[in-house]
Amino acid sequence: MPLRLLKYAWKKPEDEPRFFPSEKPLKEAYDVVIIGGGGHGMACAYYLAKEHGITNVAVLEQGYIGGGNTGRNTTIVRSNYLTAEGVKFYDESLSLFEDLSDDFDLNIFYSTRGHFTLAHTDSAMRTMRWRAEVNKHYGIDSEVVDVETIQKEVPYMDMTCNGQHPVMGALYHAPGSVARHDAVAWGYARGAQMRGVEIHQKTKVMDIKTKGGKVVGVETDRGFVEAKKVISAVAGSTPRITEMLDIKTPIEIFPLQACVTEPVKPFMDTIVVSGSLHVYVSQSSRGELVMGASVDPAELHSTRSTLDFVEGLTDQMMDLFPFTSRMKIMRQWAGMADITPDFAPIMGKTDIEGFYLDAGWGTWGFKATPVSGKTMAYTVANDRPHELIKPFALSRYEDFKLVGEKGAASVGH
Amino acid sequence: MKLRLGPQPLEWIDRNVSVTFDFEGKRVTGFEGDVVTSALWAEGWKVLGRSFKYHRRRGLMSFANHDINALFQTAEMPNVRGDVTPAKNGLSLTAVNTFGSLENDKGALVEWIAKFLPVGFYYRAFYSPKFLFPKWERLIREMAGLGKINTNWSEERQPKRYRHCDVAIIGAGASGMAAAIQAAKQGVDVCLIDENPFIGGSLDYQFANQRSQSLNRQYLKETVASLPNIQVITSAYVAGYYGDHWLAVNTDQGLIKLSAQSVVVATGVFEQPAVFRNNDLPGVMNASAAQRLMARYAVAPCNAGVVLTANHEGYRAALDMHENGLIVKAILDTGKTEGVWVDEAKKAGIVVYEQVTPIEALGSREVEGFIFGLNGMEHRLDCDGILMSVGWAPAGAPLYQAGAKFGYEPEVQQLIPVSLPDGVFACGRVNGVYVMEDRIKDGEQAGLAAALHVKGDAIPEWKDFRDGVAHSHPYPIWQHPKGKEFVDFDEDIQVKDLKGAIAQGFDNIELMKRFSTIGMGPSQGKHSNMNGIRMLAKLTGKTIDETGSTTARPMFHPTPVSHLAGMRFRPERVTPMQLFHEEAKACFMEAGNWLRPEYYPTEATREDSIKAEVSAVRNAVGLVDVSTLGKLEIFGRDAAELMDRLYTMRMSNMAIGASRYALMVDDAGVLIDDGVAVRFSDEHFYVTTTTSTSDSAYRMIQKKVIEWNLMVTVLNRTGQIGAMNVAGPNSRKVLSKLTAFGLSNDNFPYLASRQAKLAGVDVTMIRVGFVGELGYEIHVDASNALMVWDAIMNAGKEFGIKPFGVEAQRLLRLEKGHIIVGQDTDGLTNPFEANMSWAVHFKKPYFLGKPSLMKLKQMQTRTLVGFELLSDAEKDQPLESNLLIEGKEMVGRVTSIGQSDTLKKVIGLAMVSTEYSAEGQELNIKLSDGRLVKAKVVKTPFYDPEGWLQKSNEGSGEAA
Amino acid sequence: MKFVTCPSLGKRALSEFTYGGRYEQEPAQETVSEKEWADYVFYHNGAPKVQIEWWYHRPTGIWFLFERDTLTDRINKVDFARKGMTHEA
Repeated sequence: MPLRLLKYAWKKPEDEPRFFPSEKPLKEAYDVVIIGGGGHGMACAYYLAKEHGITNVAVLEQGYIGGGNTGRNTTIVRSNYLTAEGVKFYDESLSLFEDLSDDFDLNIFYSTRGHFTLAHTDSAMRTMRWRAEVNKHYGIDSEVVDVETIQKEVPYMDMTCNGQHPVMGALYHAPGSVARHDAVAWGYARGAQMRGVEIHQKTKVMDIKTKGGKVVGVETDRGFVEAKKVISAVAGSTPRITEMLDIKTPIEIFPLQACVTEPVKPFMDTIVVSGSLHVYVSQSSRGELVMGASVDPAELHSTRSTLDFVEGLTDQMMDLFPFTSRMKIMRQWAGMADITPDFAPIMGKTDIEGFYLDAGWGTWGFKATPVSGKTMAYTVANDRPHELIKPFALSRYEDFKLVGEKGAASVGH
Repeated sequence: MKLRLGPQPLEWIDRNVSVTFDFEGKRVTGFEGDVVTSALWAEGWKVLGRSFKYHRRRGLMSFANHDINALFQTAEMPNVRGDVTPAKNGLSLTAVNTFGSLENDKGALVEWIAKFLPVGFYYRAFYSPKFLFPKWERLIREMAGLGKINTNWSEERQPKRYRHCDVAIIGAGASGMAAAIQAAKQGVDVCLIDENPFIGGSLDYQFANQRSQSLNRQYLKETVASLPNIQVITSAYVAGYYGDHWLAVNTDQGLIKLSAQSVVVATGVFEQPAVFRNNDLPGVMNASAAQRLMARYAVAPCNAGVVLTANHEGYRAALDMHENGLIVKAILDTGKTEGVWVDEAKKAGIVVYEQVTPIEALGSREVEGFIFGLNGMEHRLDCDGILMSVGWAPAGAPLYQAGAKFGYEPEVQQLIPVSLPDGVFACGRVNGVYVMEDRIKDGEQAGLAAALHVKGDAIPEWKDFRDGVAHSHPYPIWQHPKGKEFVDFDEDIQVKDLKGAIAQGFDNIELMKRFSTIGMGPSQGKHSNMNGIRMLAKLTGKTIDETGSTTARPMFHPTPVSHLAGMRFRPERVTPMQLFHEEAKACFMEAGNWLRPEYYPTEATREDSIKAEVSAVRNAVGLVDVSTLGKLEIFGRDAAELMDRLYTMRMSNMAIGASRYALMVDDAGVLIDDGVAVRFSDEHFYVTTTTSTSDSAYRMIQKKVIEWNLMVTVLNRTGQIGAMNVAGPNSRKVLSKLTAFGLSNDNFPYLASRQAKLAGVDVTMIRVGFVGELGYEIHVDASNALMVWDAIMNAGKEFGIKPFGVEAQRLLRLEKGHIIVGQDTDGLTNPFEANMSWAVHFKKPYFLGKPSLMKLKQMQTRTLVGFELLSDAEKDQPLESNLLIEGKEMVGRVTSIGQSDTLKKVIGLAMVSTEYSAEGQELNIKLSDGRLVKAKVVKTPFYDPEGWLQKSNEGSGEAA
Repeated sequence: MKFVTCPSLGKRALSEFTYGGRYEQEPAQETVSEKEWADYVFYHNGAPKVQIEWWYHRPTGIWFLFERDTLTDRINKVDFARKGMTHEA
């Protein structure tokens, strides 16, 4: 029994300090308004307050805290990216993740499981090696492993994939982890609020007002709020926000679906991803298999579920894990992924003074939560991009300086 | 058979056939037609499982396919639901999630420390010190989860079926049957779906003993059976409603994908438990569960019970017990219900207490009594069962998934659909209509509306058949100072847990759900979400509508992976030469959907076999199957214009009978495809694409033809034409044996294309070669391809011909410095980086991606170069994708590498920063183990740089 | 699982189609500025809207243009993609 729980012998949970204070009226003005109360928005608020002393901040969330992609992803955290930019950025994110539970005084269930990205073709093997070599060069624990090694770690996997697409090897990333996604958002939210940040749920931004090319505030469904700086951290809703300012971006919205099985006792410790089979899977601490695939085939601003998704996923899943045919799918859901042409985010300043973008997260947003918050907070506080996010500027497309993550495309969760 | 009743009018069991199975090592006997739970209950097994967190004893509660506390393990399946799984001979079941046995479950110790484990306790601890977390996590994971997986279980797949109908009706209770009849009478095809083995719904359990309903029952069932355009699908549930009236219908025999023009949702309601102390003791159950037990399986819920009710329906349940000779100690009405059944119950002499407050159920293993408040006094009744009838929640999953909106109707104290999408209708209790006659009318209007919708006719005005009486208690939650009032039985969530969550600020429905995990278990909140919403609304001072409800995503019930996956259908493509490859025992590799020979194992090892193939090509002759290349025929007035626009090189100035390298970029200037283009005539071209892009290239070209408004037809000939490449110094000699056509340089020069007869059939020959030898690519109708291949192999015997595979071809082309798109290029590579500026003709007025290339040409930062290894190659040969390093910086990577026996060197291609691309530049390649080896940039092609061999006149019989 | 009703083909399952992107008029290469070209290749307003899209029917090899709402997924109109058509999205 951990000592921390002993206090509940005399203390009721309702006597705990509130995670989130009750609703308050909106103030007339804030130094910074953050649109989007997901992990990224909350993390940005947290680091603004904690590291830059900027606390006159409001986070405006149209739904509830962590209700967007933060609460809809498959909670995988890893840093085995392909480009130098990607690797450095996500590595910083991973090291922040490792300390979050202590920082928050809240267990985010950061669970290091090891992450296999399977290769079924020799061209996939080349990509895996490419990633491994780049990773190792930057000190990331990543290695191409052979079939025997995989079989030892995941003995119940059918390495022949039903005799159809035999596994040839894998990229193994030992630090690959899963975490409780909601808790990450809650921890940041609580930490930000304790430092003075206001969080307003069910508050929808209707318009962003500018004057002479500068942001002056936001119009919400609860009235106008003055703000010199506005950050958009709304993932799948980004185009709706940028439209308010006539900012064009390369972002397109595609639904990304996922599903879980009924809970069973733990048997799977590692995270397994197969790009060729469009499957990624891990077992949650509750015992459910959490599974996903690639984004839906066409642009859509919706979180509807499709049967095609779950049919395709289960079919491919059985190639790797034949015994899962006796399990049952309990629930499926979707998020809206904000996809960019080079599979890298769009972060930093824009042509509008005082308007900052944290977007283009595609299918990788959750794992970047801490580092995006930290670097965006720096960028906003200093009005200049943090070193780590310089390659991710919106203007890079115009300059034809795309980030080369696309080489590692396929399914990359 | 302690609790088995005498024959019931509508029972599902066959008393002539008994079944026996094992439960926790003990023998159980029931009847054919029993489910596991009913057979166990009949024998007096009231403890069916242990609860998720505290391992409390649990019995049956809803008996409606969401009793998660009666979940069993067999050797074949995890999480078997006792309330719906037929009792079969030979079954052997144990309770899930017990540590030890159901009787002696060590997990029950958790209840002793329960006070240290408040809602969300796992967020509060275990993370410090960090190194201990994995141990705690393992423990938490072991405690969670339900059934056990056997990873040796074999794969199972159930075929899927498709079905089409005009009107699909979900739920075959009274309103669903009425809807089916009314729709069918309009002449449309109807599918009537019910998850039970028999139609009838609550008409057959809530009204089983109600004689006045026998006429309705007879009419509905007989009419449904008599109408040929009603198809009844029983033992089937709608796992999900997906767009455009598609339903995923799960049956024991697999999934039916049912497409309808209109959908009627007559799914009824889920009964919701009353929340009071110890409401989870075995023997406490929903009244409708008791009614199903009695009517379907002739099993008594208890011998002497009390009925806690807030509605009319509770009185009916009491009457059912009474009429079966069971003792109803009292009906405890939380208010003062009126109605026929109330009168009947009183007339039958059942004691009724009104304005009762439930306080707690008593009992250690099973329920033994009930304490309630009345007029400010506490009273106790001894009983072995408590039936709860305090309210309902709509089984609205298909409606939610279709996009319906629900609103709270205070008149019935229930969520009802307030707006429905086009072509979707709701009727019966899910629509808040409770009186049997009204349900039938509501069903009739829904069925009619659905049929009219299908026909495109106007739908008459919708009538509201609700009776204006609340059938649900507005707040069936009675907190007790000592707790243990369970709201969610899957997750062991009590009133204090939800209060705690709300008090800590998780005070909207989604946050409360996520923090407390209410509704997250396998029943997905069917019995708990409504009470959770009621609590949240009350504690935050909001209305139910303001509080909102959670959505009901698919699956309605957890659905087998084997059914969702269905049969495996992933075709593989093989070339016309597959028979030869198989006979030659080729090792195959995947290339897109295709299988291609990687090499032919003619020598002892893979490496030696590949070497032998390479050597044959370089020194004699080889034959490779290239049928997997995409092959497009382009003809029409604007064919040349199209070719010019598609490819970076000028194509319109090609002579007839010539061929040319064809390179394609996308709008962003990224290299996406390459191949060979041939001009057959002024208005007729033939072009190959890479294997993996053949479909997408064809698609894209068709699209461009439309966009550019060109008079061109594009045909995808990929599967219709077989292709092979004869290469090597002896290739001309081999072919000469098979054709009269002049193959000399004069008649058929390098890069020319000719149509001729070869081995007696028409072929197109192109004098190109990826591998850098004298060579001919032969394209021939697929039906003749194997014959031509065999003919060449036979003719080549005397010249030492060998078939070669992809691996040999890769090395051979590397020696020539030819790139493979996708291997030597990545998702951003442009032609300049690939060292192919020669293939970009900016003078053309237009081609795909031209403006991007003009920009990219100015800003090149990396270049594909050839290199050779300087150090001892044998033991330190780098691998493809190894990095190039300068100082600490990464300056490039190896894209191709190979040991060339021909050149006696290790050679390769690398994409490097342009500043390191000059000939003679030393490169450091970082091996996978971190050591560095040296290489040097050299000119490509490595082999035959002048290209004499390709242009050779060798074997033509003429002087070179 | 969705259906779409196409000229000549009638009602087809959407799973028979491949999405081919938004219909957009390519700017004239002869006169386009670098900025306009970058706009065409990369930048757009991705907010929910009714747009014209390319959809390819794989079994028949026919390109169609759908007018589709990217918020509701409703397909309002389906037409053959015809040579020389001029569409305003």
